[in-house]
Amino acid sequence: MLANLATLALNGLAWGLIVALIALGLSIIFGLLDVINVAHGDLFMVGGVLAWTAVETTGSFAAALVVVPLLGMALGLATERFAIRPILRNPALTIVSTFGLSLILQEAVRATFGPAPRRLMAPLPGTLPVFGTNYEIYRLAAAVAAALALAAFFLFQQRTRFGTWMRAVRHDRETALTLGIPVARVQLLTFALGAALALLGGVIAAPITTVDFRAGVEILPACFMAVVIGGLGNLPGTAAAAVLLAVTEGVVSGLSDPTAARITSLCLMSAVLLLRPQGLFAGAAR
Amino acid sequence: MVEPLLVVSGLAARIGRVPILAGVDLAVPARGIVALLGRNGVGKTTTLRTIMGVVEATAGSIRFADQDITRLQAHLRPGLGIGYVPQGRGIFPLLTVRENLYLGLRGPADPAIETHVFERFPRLAERLDQKAGTMSGGEQQMLAIARALMMRPRLLILDEPTEGVMPRLVNDIRREIAAIAASGIAVLLVEQNLRTALRLARHVVIMERGHTAFAGPPESLRADPDLAHRLLGVGAPT
Repeated sequence: MLANLATLALNGLAWGLIVALIALGLSIIFGLLDVINVAHGDLFMVGGVLAWTAVETTGSFAAALVVVPLLGMALGLATERFAIRPILRNPALTIVSTFGLSLILQEAVRATFGPAPRRLMAPLPGTLPVFGTNYEIYRLAAAVAAALALAAFFLFQQRTRFGTWMRAVRHDRETALTLGIPVARVQLLTFALGAALALLGGVIAAPITTVDFRAGVEILPACFMAVVIGGLGNLPGTAAAAVLLAVTEGVVSGLSDPTAARITSLCLMSAVLLLRPQGLFAGAAR
Repeated sequence: MVEPLLVVSGLAARIGRVPILAGVDLAVPARGIVALLGRNGVGKTTTLRTIMGVVEATAGSIRFADQDITRLQAHLRPGLGIGYVPQGRGIFPLLTVRENLYLGLRGPADPAIETHVFERFPRLAERLDQKAGTMSGGEQQMLAIARALMMRPRLLILDEPTEGVMPRLVNDIRREIAAIAASGIAVLLVEQNLRTALRLARHVVIMERGHTAFAGPPESLRADPDLAHRLLGVGAPT
C-alpha cells in the first residue's frame, strides 16, 4: 500500500512539474498582457502532436525536444501579432479570440492528425527500483526535464536584461514605457515564450499520456487551478501549486478514485479563493 | 534668445472618452526649473504623461530639441534625453535597487554618471542588492531620481517628488532638484508646495481645467496675490 502511494506521489510530482511548465506560460501571459489564454491547453496538445510527428518523421525524440518549442515560439509570435495585439485593450475580446484559436487548433489537428488518440513510445524504456516498486525511467527523466526547464526559465527571468524587463512590465507597464522599455516587444516575446513552454510541456508529456486532439481541454483546468492557488502573477507560487495539486490528486486517486481527487483539488482552490484570494503563496518572490 | 528645449503647444488629450487637456502651452528652456502648478485635477499629471507618450495627444504638438515628438512611440522618448520621475515614484518594489537603477539603460552605464549618481545618493550604493520595496518613501524617491539621472537626461520631469516623503527628507529632495538644475539639466517640476515651487523655479506655468491659465516668472505671481488666489486657491508666498 505504502509503495503504491509513493508511486502515485511520484507520478503526481512528475505530472505536476509538467503542469507547472504549462501553467507558468499561462501565468506570464496573463501577468504581462492581461490575457486569459483559453487556447493555452491546446498549445500543449499541439506540442504532443508535433512531438509524435517529429518522432515518426525523424525517429529522434531529442529533435522533437529542440524543434517543437521553437515552432511554439513561432506560433506564439503569430498568435500575439494577429489574434491578440489588435484587441489587447479589450480583455473580454481576447477571451473570445483565444477561444476561437482553441477551436481552430483542435479542429486543425483532428482534420490532419485524426480523431483517434495515439501513443508515443518512451524514448528511455525500462524501469528503476524506487520505493520497492519498478518505476518507469522516462517518468523520472520527464520530471527532471520539466524541473530543468523551470529552473532555466527562472534563471532567465532573474539574470537577463529581458527577464528584468518582463518583471518590470508585469509590475507597471506605464513606468516601464517611460524608462524606454519596448513594452509591446516584451509582450510579444512573452506570449511566444509562454506558447513555447506549453509546447515543450506537450513534448515532455507525450510519452506518458495519450496524444489526442482533446488533450488541451483536459489539462487547462489544472493549469488555471495552479495559477489561482499559486497567486495570479506569482510564478514560483504557480509552479509550487501545480506540483502540490498533482501530488494531492495522485495520492487521493490512489486512496479513492480520480473523481474524488479532482473534487479535492476544486475544494482546495475554493478554500484558497475564500481564505487567501491573493493566492496560497502570496508574498513569495516573484 | 535661447531656443527652448521642450515646447508644448495647444496640447489636448483625453483619458478614455473624458477630455482632460484642452490647450496646454508651456516651454522649458535648456537650463533652469519650470514649475507646473494648478489645483488638484486640472491635468498636470496628464500633461506630463502626454509629454512622455503614455497618454495619446489628440491635438497640439510636443517638440523636444527641435524634433516633433507628438506621435513618437513612448518607449523611444527617454532615449532622446527625457527623464521622468512619475507621481508615486514608479519604483519596481520586487526588483533590487541595482535592477531599478539600470533598468532604462540599453548598454553599460557611463562610469562617470554612475560615480556622480552614487556620490549624490550614497545610500543607494550601500543598498544595491536590496529589494527596492523595502526602502523608505524618501529613499525610493531618491532611487527614482537616480534612475532617471542614470539615463543622462537633458530634461528631467518630476511629478510631485516630495509627495508622501517624510518631512525631514523633503528638504534633501529639494536640494537635489536644485543641484540637478545647477548641473545643467533642465527640470519640469510639478509641485504642490507653492513656496518650494516659487523658490526653485525660474518660470511658472499654472493650469486651470485642462489648459494653461498663466505663464510667467514667479515674481509676477508674488506681485499679484489675487491671481495666485484665483488660480491656486492660496495666496502667493512672499
